[in-house]
Amino acid sequence: MKETLVDGGPEAPARRGPPKSDGGAESARRRKKLVTVTRPWLLLAPSLLVLAGLLLWPLIQVGKLSMQDYEVKFGGGVGTFTGFDHYTDLLSSGLLWKTVLPNTVFFAIACVGLTVALGTLVALLLNRLGHFWRLICSIAILAAWAMPAVTGTYVWIWLFQPQDGMVSQIAGSLGLIDPETTNWFTERGPFYAIATLNVIHHGFPFVAITVLAGLMTIPKELYEAGELDGANAWQRFWNITVPTIKPVFLVVTILSTIWDFKVFTQIYLQPGGDGSNEDVYNLGVFSYIQAFAKNDYGTGAAAAVLLTVLLLLITVVYIRTLFRQGEEDL
Amino acid sequence: MSTRRTTLTSRAGLSVAVAALLVFTLFPVYWMISTALDPKASLRGSDVLPSGISFEHFTYVFEKGNFGTYLLNSALVGLATIVAAGVLSLFAAIAVARFKFRFRTSVLIMILIVQMVPLEALVIPLFIQMRDYDMLNSLLGLSVVYIALSLPFAIWTLRGFVATVPKEVEEAAYIDGASWPRMFWSVLLPLVAPGLVATSIFAFITAWNEFVFAYTFMKGSDKYTAAVGIYQFFGENSTAWGPVMASSTLVTLPVMIFFVVIHRKLGSGLAAGAVKG
Repeated sequence: MKETLVDGGPEAPARRGPPKSDGGAESARRRKKLVTVTRPWLLLAPSLLVLAGLLLWPLIQVGKLSMQDYEVKFGGGVGTFTGFDHYTDLLSSGLLWKTVLPNTVFFAIACVGLTVALGTLVALLLNRLGHFWRLICSIAILAAWAMPAVTGTYVWIWLFQPQDGMVSQIAGSLGLIDPETTNWFTERGPFYAIATLNVIHHGFPFVAITVLAGLMTIPKELYEAGELDGANAWQRFWNITVPTIKPVFLVVTILSTIWDFKVFTQIYLQPGGDGSNEDVYNLGVFSYIQAFAKNDYGTGAAAAVLLTVLLLLITVVYIRTLFRQGEEDL
Repeated sequence: MSTRRTTLTSRAGLSVAVAALLVFTLFPVYWMISTALDPKASLRGSDVLPSGISFEHFTYVFEKGNFGTYLLNSALVGLATIVAAGVLSLFAAIAVARFKFRFRTSVLIMILIVQMVPLEALVIPLFIQMRDYDMLNSLLGLSVVYIALSLPFAIWTLRGFVATVPKEVEEAAYIDGASWPRMFWSVLLPLVAPGLVATSIFAFITAWNEFVFAYTFMKGSDKYTAAVGIYQFFGENSTAWGPVMASSTLVTLPVMIFFVVIHRKLGSGLAAGAVKG
């Protein structure tokens, strides 16, 4: 790759640009222009190839699959074109509207709201602490962040495990539940409440650290002026903090939204989340189960496309936000 | 007097808030490690302290659970991802941060868009492709997927770092007669090294933590990654919580150590990448 960085690499015929006189200076200039045009693309080429081959191409394939009945025959796959059948089936199914979409959307809204609220509160707290406690709290936050989704999920399952789990036993000893018969994971509400706790625990550190970085850029004079004008803490937060670092809030909210719409591992690993309990399906799990457990790749792909379209809409908002930030031209 | 009282109450408030934060963030971590060390793990219930300390669950996951192989698989895949994603994203970041060219904004937008693609949309077609090309169960195949997954964020973050290197530094080196490779090695690389460290660690963590692809693609049990290897101790009806938490600890601790070691770099990495966009 190194030679791509060298100015005036191997001579190549200049295809672009109108041919002019063949003077030495002219060809040197043309060569230089060619280098200027191709150099960024040579640098980008490996990344773009990987992204195109492993992200873009599969996306096109999933679109194609969603309009096929796909069967595995003699080790290879055979697709039969079925048009929009999978979509009409999917969009007319009660499961989608009563279970899958509400689970996906309400869970994402709850997770985003709580993650951003908690992350902001923690950022405000960190901003008020002295060096020592800020360091201690930052390390604790990093520990929560560093916990992989898989292991984090196992810990939350273990805490809420029927009968033996710590929370179940404490709730039982307080007389709130009967630990012998209560299973938090069989019903939608408690199932998603536990998943929400898990996702918040894993997700708020990013918000806290990003918002803290934003808070530290706000000039102290603004608050002093606010205090002189008699603004209380709440007013100072709403009228000074929020408007000043609004772009930071927008970005963490939209990023969290994108992440929380596609939560998979945390749901799939919880008891019943692997498809054995239809009540707790979200869009991602539904798509995965259809494809890999039921061998119905077409419907799975259609659900995946639906999720992608949802996320694409959110991403458009994200990109517009970034552009409107206008701190730097992209 | 009244200001003194408010300081006292706000002090108390701060202490309560700090205590609550520490409990919420650290208790799950503590619970994982102490269960892993508790010889009677599965009977723990609501005992906050373990009934004893023993490493038997750790020995068990290595001897009976083949966990050493899984950790090695994860490390190999992670290493491949770091190297490839680091090199590719640095080149791409230089291109988008240093040069003005046509479609530059479009390229950046495309990179942002692929970041949102849900894994569930990719796992179905990639599974079919990998199966057709006989690439299932291949650590290389898995690494390639992880490289692609970590690229958008790595490019986006590194771009911020490259942009913060003043052009004047490069121009000065250029006037002194440095060639492009020389400038790259002696001027640019040392200055973006912190960013490269941050993105490498993110790439490593992406590969180390990933579950969906590893779980779907790696079906031969000696090809599991560590994150998937835990699954085997997790029973439908009765779960061996000691081994589950011991293996979870083994997966989590390296990431935590990484995070704490680089926490200063992490802050600036995010500030350069995510915040300033």
